[in-house]
Amino acid sequence: MAGHDSGSQHQFTGFQKYFNSYTITGRRNYVIATYTSIAMLILYFKLRPKKKTPAVADK
Amino acid sequence: MNLSFFDQFMSPQLLGIPLIMLAMMFPTLLLPFPTTRWITNRLSTLQLWFIHLTTKQLMLPLNKGGHKWALILTSLMMLLLMINLLGLLPYTFTPTTQLSMNMALAFPLWLATLLTGLRNQPTTSLGHLLPEGTPTPLIPALILIETTSLLIRPLALGVRLTANLTAGHLLIQLISTATITLLPILPTVSILTSLILLLLTILEIAVAMIQAYVFVLLLSLYLQENI
Repeated sequence: MAGHDSGSQHQFTGFQKYFNSYTITGRRNYVIATYTSIAMLILYFKLRPKKKTPAVADK
Repeated sequence: MNLSFFDQFMSPQLLGIPLIMLAMMFPTLLLPFPTTRWITNRLSTLQLWFIHLTTKQLMLPLNKGGHKWALILTSLMMLLLMINLLGLLPYTFTPTTQLSMNMALAFPLWLATLLTGLRNQPTTSLGHLLPEGTPTPLIPALILIETTSLLIRPLALGVRLTANLTAGHLLIQLISTATITLLPILPTVSILTSLILLLLTILEIAVAMIQAYVFVLLLSLYLQENI
């Protein structure tokens, strides 16, 4: 069946306990982290204050 | 009346009244009406046998929750099959050549499978966006690639059906035009072209049935991942 998980044999510690590409929860966390980073990037570029250039007077 | 090659794909209308709904409902008129008799006639038995065959095939890889989808998948299969096959008759309109209709079928059903998965088993559904055992440096790229492939599914479903049927109908029209045009000029070549037309028609009958089956099969596959 799709979604076979062989992660029960792996003993992860530290960061890899939550973020690994073997257990289903590890994969899910990686996916959520990637989506969140992209969302943060988009938000940052949308909300950062725009630099105002001084107006140049025509002579 | 001079017909261009694309007039066969124009949505039918009578004095400005669109007939597309009629074109879509028409195939159901050809199916036998269910009766209260236990053993009916040959046509009903044949229809029942065929529906049983397709439903069993579709439901085989699905778990019990997926069996709720039996009615919609089987009826979708019958609808597409009948529309595709009837469209091969001369001067008939094939609703499945319209991208709008195929997208209207593909998009909501795909979305339903996706939302079912996200609602009932969110961890598994999200986890499937990253293949097991991916090397760490490749993970963000692969997640984006898998997301793209997920989002392109309804588009692929709709366009596959539209393109296959439109291309087939267009080819039949072109080759039959060639056959008729060549008949007074080069009769031998015309006979060869008519042979090609015969083979193409047989191919189109196969394609009509296969495309209907593939549409429903892919939907059941997407459902398998999510239910």
